[in-house]
Amino acid sequence: MYFRRFVLGAMTALPMLSLAPLAQAQVSTDAAKAFITTSGQQLVAVVNADTSTSVKAQQLQTLVNQMVAVDNVGAYVLGRYKSVATPDQYTQFQALFHQLLANNITYQIKAFQGIGFTVNGASVVGNDTVVDTTITRPGQAPADVGWAVDEIGGTPKIVDVIVAGTSLRITTRNDYASVITSNGGQVSALLTVMQNKINQIKANQ
Amino acid sequence: MPAMKEAWVLHNRILSVRRGIAAIAAPAVILAGMLSGCAKAPPASDTADYQAYQQQNDPMEPTNRVFYSINDKLDRYAFKPIAKGYIKITTQGIRNHVGDFVTNIGEPGRLIYFAAGGKPRDAGTSLVRFVVNSTVGIGGIFDPATHLGYPETDTDFGMTLAEWGIPAGPYLYLPAFGPSGARDAFSIPVAFFLTPMEAAPASTAMTAFSYSETALHLVNTRAQFMNPIEQVQETALDPYATFRSLYRQSRASQLQLIDQRDTPTVPDWFPQPAAPVTQ
Repeated sequence: MYFRRFVLGAMTALPMLSLAPLAQAQVSTDAAKAFITTSGQQLVAVVNADTSTSVKAQQLQTLVNQMVAVDNVGAYVLGRYKSVATPDQYTQFQALFHQLLANNITYQIKAFQGIGFTVNGASVVGNDTVVDTTITRPGQAPADVGWAVDEIGGTPKIVDVIVAGTSLRITTRNDYASVITSNGGQVSALLTVMQNKINQIKANQ
Repeated sequence: MPAMKEAWVLHNRILSVRRGIAAIAAPAVILAGMLSGCAKAPPASDTADYQAYQQQNDPMEPTNRVFYSINDKLDRYAFKPIAKGYIKITTQGIRNHVGDFVTNIGEPGRLIYFAAGGKPRDAGTSLVRFVVNSTVGIGGIFDPATHLGYPETDTDFGMTLAEWGIPAGPYLYLPAFGPSGARDAFSIPVAFFLTPMEAAPASTAMTAFSYSETALHLVNTRAQFMNPIEQVQETALDPYATFRSLYRQSRASQLQLIDQRDTPTVPDWFPQPAAPVTQ
């Protein structure tokens, strides 16, 4: 049962799967709430719109790029292996990471219909400002989702999604690290697996 | 009469076998893992890989992956189709009530875990939840206790051991049971005994109820996991590692929540402590 809240929330929050912090400054709780409120309304409007899946995916990808520090996310997810990767490998990794995020969003859209979004409050947790929200969907139990926000490049950006105490950026980093360690510490192996995953998701669509 | 006697003997044997299996399952699996399929640690000089290995704390990874693979097939061809059928014939509301019912049956066990772990307020909450939900909540089908300010705080024997200061230990992926750990695996046999059904006088009806409740619990929980599990399997590069990470984070978060909710509170009628002086 201890997993229940996580899994119910995780499916709602997965489009933000890997959101990383290279935060330079903390955002005030009011500013973070305002940012998440606006971002959430935009997301809900796109998801609930009566448009095709491909159009929604495109719009969501644009929104995610605006709201999420995706490049910083990639750096966090690669973690300690960033110093092992060559400049070319790192560039390739970031490109694949963006692509995977886009594919994940497209995959998620199938499960996203008629969602509701409520901002409950915000608090400072460590270096981040976390905004607590409740996401509702018809026929599903409500999911409590926390959005970690930091100021990056002078604007607030989402750096993590927290569901029942589980951080999606940490989960993703562990996922990627496992692939690298299983292949003798080779970043090239991670790139291959990422490309294969992209091909697999495309084939299943 | 002889037939009844035979049935009674059979019933007792079944109970005995169930207890035996539950009691030895977790330690046996741990032993099996220790004896075979240990992962080879990278050299300490290889800093990045060595740190990753230490952080994963999964020395039995090869064995765990075998069990994961078995469970995955079991799930794909048995549990998942059953859960899909269950979803088709039930509504979310029904599934929520089933979840409430199963949760309520677990409250007496939680009370004991909290008490043993030195969490009296959490134990009190479990007691209130069980009393309120079993009565006002019509046998636990509804959860009025949450609305009265007594939300569910989940726990198990693994959490009690954690409160005693026992570390989580190596990660384990158990056949049928799924993600666990050297410490948390002990919660499986203990959970078997700490249910109201075990405390109730033995009878055929109680045995049937116990099996039905277990089956319903499994199917209902699997139904709740349906989409998230599919998503992890579809989008993660290494689903095994992803589930491992989620499990560990979830357990750490659960322990934190138990501690948070056990915070001492002062009743309204009692003189309140003075607010800290700010200078």
